[in-house]
Amino acid sequence: MFFLTYLRYELRQRMRQAILIAVGLAVGIGLVVTVIAASAGAANAQSSVLHGLYGIGTDITVTQAPPPGSHTGGAFNPGSATQQIEELLNGQLNPLNASSVAAISRLHSVAAAAGGLVLTDTKLTVPSTSSLGPGGQPPANLPAPTSFIIDGVDLTHLGLGPFSSGQISAGRTFAVSDGNANVAVVDSNYATANKLTIGSTITIAQTRFTVIGIVQQPQGGGSADVYIPLTRAQAFGMGPGVSTLKNLVNEIYVAAASSSDVSTVQAEIARLLPSATVTTSGNLASAVSGSLAAATSLISDLGRWLAIAVLIAAFAVASLLTMASVARRVREFGMLKALGWRSRRIIAQVLAESCIVGIVGAVMGIALGFSGAALVDIVAPPLSAIVAQNPGSAPAQDISFNGSGAHYQQEPGSTNTVLVHLVAAVTANTLLLAVALAIAGALIAGAFGSWRAARLRPAEALSQVA
Amino acid sequence: MYTLTNVTKTYRIDSHTVSALQGVDLVIEDGEWLAVQGRTGSGKTTLLQILGGLDRPSAGTITFDDQDLATLPETRLTEFRAASIGFVFQTFNLLPTLPALENVEAALVPQRVSPAERRARAARTLEAVGLGDRAQHLPSELSGGQQQRVGIARALVKEPKVLLADEPTGNLDGDTRDEIIALLERLWQEHRFTLVLVTHDPALAGHAQRVGVMRDGKLAVGKGARG
Repeated sequence: MFFLTYLRYELRQRMRQAILIAVGLAVGIGLVVTVIAASAGAANAQSSVLHGLYGIGTDITVTQAPPPGSHTGGAFNPGSATQQIEELLNGQLNPLNASSVAAISRLHSVAAAAGGLVLTDTKLTVPSTSSLGPGGQPPANLPAPTSFIIDGVDLTHLGLGPFSSGQISAGRTFAVSDGNANVAVVDSNYATANKLTIGSTITIAQTRFTVIGIVQQPQGGGSADVYIPLTRAQAFGMGPGVSTLKNLVNEIYVAAASSSDVSTVQAEIARLLPSATVTTSGNLASAVSGSLAAATSLISDLGRWLAIAVLIAAFAVASLLTMASVARRVREFGMLKALGWRSRRIIAQVLAESCIVGIVGAVMGIALGFSGAALVDIVAPPLSAIVAQNPGSAPAQDISFNGSGAHYQQEPGSTNTVLVHLVAAVTANTLLLAVALAIAGALIAGAFGSWRAARLRPAEALSQVA
Repeated sequence: MYTLTNVTKTYRIDSHTVSALQGVDLVIEDGEWLAVQGRTGSGKTTLLQILGGLDRPSAGTITFDDQDLATLPETRLTEFRAASIGFVFQTFNLLPTLPALENVEAALVPQRVSPAERRARAARTLEAVGLGDRAQHLPSELSGGQQQRVGIARALVKEPKVLLADEPTGNLDGDTRDEIIALLERLWQEHRFTLVLVTHDPALAGHAQRVGVMRDGKLAVGKGARG
């Protein structure tokens, strides 16, 4: 076919020019691909933080904040001997009745609901009066308080809640039959720090728990150190405030039937439990701060405008270069018209050349985009996401000793800082977009050029000085 | 074949109006060889362009075999050019990216000719102008005379009724010029197309049957050496 013959020869002879135009397009497209990939990476990082926090299956969490101004705390008076105190703190969450869990799971559009009990186990040493210094100063060698976080897990709903986002790296996970057993699954970081392995023992409220498994939580996932069956957690006696934890939970995790049902379910739960705080991962997303949030908004705002600006510039450059090259071919087109070629055919020829240039530009742009994404991965520092934790699920803070004894209290609104790595992800859709953009850019350039040229009367075209 | 009646062509250049042709009357017979002489700017190229349907007159009529070219719609004019007119230019005007054979083939593309036949006819025509062995050369690899031969082959491959040549030897030196003129003459005698040759070279004009002289947009026609 003459069409292809002409096309082949034309591109071969004018290869340098064609490549120049393709490169121009590629730069614009490469940047767009990189920005989209970085954006997707930031969004992925954010959702992995959020998922890790509440588990991948959890759409909504229900908690109940205590009245403002309250805090748990207490005091111990030093006695004649050193005291070892262990406190199980319910933290800043008012307990919810387990019947609420059942009520929620009966709601329309709720796929499942499960309760969890998050407690902080604090062990501190209260010195004897005789070891206190002047003005009630504690002795210098007093051991520091330790605490760890316990999460009572509903074994019939292991897919809901923070435990579900972890991967078992040693031993096994819970079985439903473990419901009344004193078994524990331990977070891998906590296990390493405390040299715990399968078979080790942890003592909580004078009960010995055997470690049956070690779980690895993803970045931002699961803030608990020790997971035990919910019924065992509910069987503990209590510190100041509540005398028993039986049938109580302090977090409820809800899975909606589908993502479009989430806001409906949220409203229904709020009606059911008017004093509860009902949070979706969408709500959380707006509460995440830190450099990840800043990076995400930088990429999507600045990045988007930058990419659009560069893309327009690339299209403009491609158009100008194509028009310039077509202007040089005006005489040629005039000759073709003199030979009886229709304008349509001449335009088709130029557009076909542009298409090929566009495809080459797309391939180069995609390669540039991948390189850009890889560069982002290498260059991007670890980003932090600061997420407001469930009040009470952070270790006890502010433990002080003075003459009248040891005081400790937990403050609400503690936060969890999570480090994530930004991985720029190039998806198939992005690639298709890149190809479409490149061809569009090339066709726009070609259309401008050929329309101008074909409009000339042959006589004018042929009389142009070569 | 051609009847021109009171053909006028004016151009606007900046704010100037230039009269290229002022009331030209002309009859050209089938198979005739007409030379048109005149100084640069006398309007001879414009006349050729109008004869070839590359441009339209501002006023007057021009009929070709009873068709008025002045009022023919653009697509019909293009078809007319494709089928009936061959052009040869002073500056050759070959497509620079295509080899000689494809350059000649390009003239047959608008016709309904199969690719194989198109290629065969192009090859034969190149042979007829003596360039059979240069079919794969690009224009940049050919001498001026060879390029013009390709131009002539391209003009003749479609077996046109009319060959319009605008200073065909203007860019060629002495010996080559003679070769090209001899070639044109031979081909004209073989095929008896109507040949309108524009030139400012009187010696060249002398080979024709009739010689017209353009002066300030007006044409005066007398007999040539052959006529």
